[in-house]
Amino acid sequence: MISARIACLFVPLFPLAARLRAEPPLAGEALAVFEGNGPAARLLAASRTARRAGLRPGLSLAQARAILPKLVARGRDTECERAAQEALADTAESFSPRVESSGDGIVYFDASGLERIFPGPGGEKTLGRAAIVAAGKAGLPARCGIAASKLAARVAAENPDSPTLVPGGEEARFLAPLPLVRLAPHAEIALTLERWGIRTIGELARLPEGDVTSRLGRIGQELHWTARGIDPRPLEPRQPPPMFREGMELEWPLLTLEPFLFLAGSALERLAGRLGAQGLAITRLGLELRLEPDGFDVREIQLPAPTRDLTALLALTRLGLETRPPGAAVNGFTFIAHPDQPRRAQLSLFGPPALSPDKLTATIARLAALLGADRIGSPRTVDRHAPESCALAEYAPPPPPELRRPPRSGRGLLAVRVLRPPLPLEVLTNETMAPAITSRRVAEISRESETVPHRARPPAISSIKTISPTDDRNGKGPSIQGNVRVASGPWGVEEGWWTDHRVDRDYWDVEIDGGGIYRIFRERGTGEWFVDGIYD
Amino acid sequence: MLISPTLPALSGIEALRARLPHPLASQLRRASELVTLAQQIGPKLVVPTTVAPLDRILGGGLARGSLVELVGHRSGGRFAIVIAAIAAATSAGEAAALVDLGDGLDPRAAEEAGVDFTRLLWVRPRRLRDALLAAEMLVATGFPLVVCDLGVPPVRGRVPASAWLRLGRAAERHETALFVSTPYRSTGPVAQAVVLLERGHAEWRGEMFSPQLLTGLTGRLIVQKRRGESGPLTGLSSFAASSLWRCHSCGALAPPPPPSTHSRRAQKDQWQKGGKEDEEERNAVSSTVSAAGK
Repeated sequence: MISARIACLFVPLFPLAARLRAEPPLAGEALAVFEGNGPAARLLAASRTARRAGLRPGLSLAQARAILPKLVARGRDTECERAAQEALADTAESFSPRVESSGDGIVYFDASGLERIFPGPGGEKTLGRAAIVAAGKAGLPARCGIAASKLAARVAAENPDSPTLVPGGEEARFLAPLPLVRLAPHAEIALTLERWGIRTIGELARLPEGDVTSRLGRIGQELHWTARGIDPRPLEPRQPPPMFREGMELEWPLLTLEPFLFLAGSALERLAGRLGAQGLAITRLGLELRLEPDGFDVREIQLPAPTRDLTALLALTRLGLETRPPGAAVNGFTFIAHPDQPRRAQLSLFGPPALSPDKLTATIARLAALLGADRIGSPRTVDRHAPESCALAEYAPPPPPELRRPPRSGRGLLAVRVLRPPLPLEVLTNETMAPAITSRRVAEISRESETVPHRARPPAISSIKTISPTDDRNGKGPSIQGNVRVASGPWGVEEGWWTDHRVDRDYWDVEIDGGGIYRIFRERGTGEWFVDGIYD
Repeated sequence: MLISPTLPALSGIEALRARLPHPLASQLRRASELVTLAQQIGPKLVVPTTVAPLDRILGGGLARGSLVELVGHRSGGRFAIVIAAIAAATSAGEAAALVDLGDGLDPRAAEEAGVDFTRLLWVRPRRLRDALLAAEMLVATGFPLVVCDLGVPPVRGRVPASAWLRLGRAAERHETALFVSTPYRSTGPVAQAVVLLERGHAEWRGEMFSPQLLTGLTGRLIVQKRRGESGPLTGLSSFAASSLWRCHSCGALAPPPPPSTHSRRAQKDQWQKGGKEDEEERNAVSSTVSAAGK
């Protein structure tokens, strides 16, 4: 029978470690984390610098400041701690799929069967060291203990000389010299045992079980079992979370975007790191803002494809907040990442080079942030007659062919450079230059014009000139001016007469003296002229 | 060690130097420089534009890792060359990006020219600065062909010359063929080749009594600057119109067939016939309406 081996990752002074993970620049400072508000706030954990100055848990903020005036004080941040706990569990998950998250910086994972990965007599030591390094990469200074039971593993993990290994069946011997307080007994029982003169775990274990049970009851009996190294609690594996969260409570409300983005960037970096450790990418990113004095702003940032690119994520966050500001000061935030598998590309040896899906996604996201989501994509034709109409689709190129193929021979077609939006035009018509049409046809057209206005005699265009645009949003448009040398048309375009966006135009192709060839049109309804394309 | 009998007994590198062309031989100092020389004298990867005169001028097409600038005025066929280059790259299965500062792409015309839309990324910046930033990002992403079309004058915004230099260096680093189409000389000294496209003349078909149709444009390509390759210094380009327009009077599709089969007289006849058909149709409709009224 293979004996169970359980590893425990333990982060001492967890509230402080979680804070430092969220705010790494505070690492060398005299930092203390307080629980509670105002005068009721009590010191929970302090950094080494602060502890050396004499700060101890339980002090009030005023007392702590009296001892250490330069103390950096922070409130306990449950959001930070939750994210740090998840990150610790993610770290453990990179070693074993069976992970139990016990909260407060303690995580257990199943270390049985890892001998193949960490072979040899020193395999468990190597495993412990690797787990500590992995937790360090996640920003958490963890210790590791490996034993046959959860209790022994946790007590071993509390040892400063980490990693600590407890051989199978030697739990009682390992625990015996340790002080009784390491078993965290109830205060009442601890007092009783102290009166009895019991100081170590071994002294308690040596007492007869029946006598302890008769005097201290069921709780005393359980404590006696743990002192003998008996821990019947099994490992309770957690379900992997469907989403990843990172965030923090802010010390003071933020009113401007830049400081927020600084903190958001740090949170996104941690989030991307956690996802990266599991080979995942973010497919949807939610942002939950806690507003001052109360209220929430929940929004979702759409990503073109799964990505972990920090620059792209930050750029999209900025774009979202600039487009729709939260409307109040922000005093806390949480990013919620929905994970998915990143796109993979199979490179070809002989075909054209393929684009890296990760890079492409990041570039598209950055360009969308820079230019706007409606300014980038793959062009598509639309089922309309108006020549300026076009559509954009998501850019997802198919994989390149396996073998390089020659390009299709060019068709040598003339292109039209579309002017979006069309520029208003001043057009002079010259009746003497009207196209020659037989007198019978003229009479027909004149007769028809009473009932069918758009079939009226087409004007002969003699010169065109752009009217300076009044809309400065798109800047100054191209200037077009000249006498018309050749005019071809009209070509009628009519669509959408049953909608509000009716198109009813007569088009001409005109060549002016300077040599430019343009596509111009007249709105039949209003008689206004526009230029909407340059043959180029 | 085998030494060619035609060569005197020389050291290895001297023997090699003797076999190399004169300008390269004088540059060779160390064996490690052979790799660089091999890259210089070896065939360069190019992206053909399928515009034959331009490909001839550029030595096969747009060279990977270099910037080619095409300068041309309105209606010279500059945008047609841009579309042709994109069509060539995408039809060969390569991804391409068009940074379209003028927002002038007509998807219908591009599709007709043979552009594979699934492989084309269309970026529509509003300012020149954004266009260059976008082009730099696309080059860094690894697109084999990035086309930057600056539209028609006035170009929106200005950038320092160093921005073009940086873009050119990025193209060199990522082995991207960077094609800049601009109304006036813009890129500065970084361009590997600068080709001026002079406007030729427009070709119209039909005169006097018949409707006139634009059938094509011609242009003249002139090399202004070229590094390395040798080839012709000028070339004539021509582009044919392919329109989906339909004459609303006669129903004829443009462009019309060649004059040999569709003479001016035939055009006139068709125009008049179309008019008659319209008249007949209108008469039929009006008679139906009047019948309904009765």
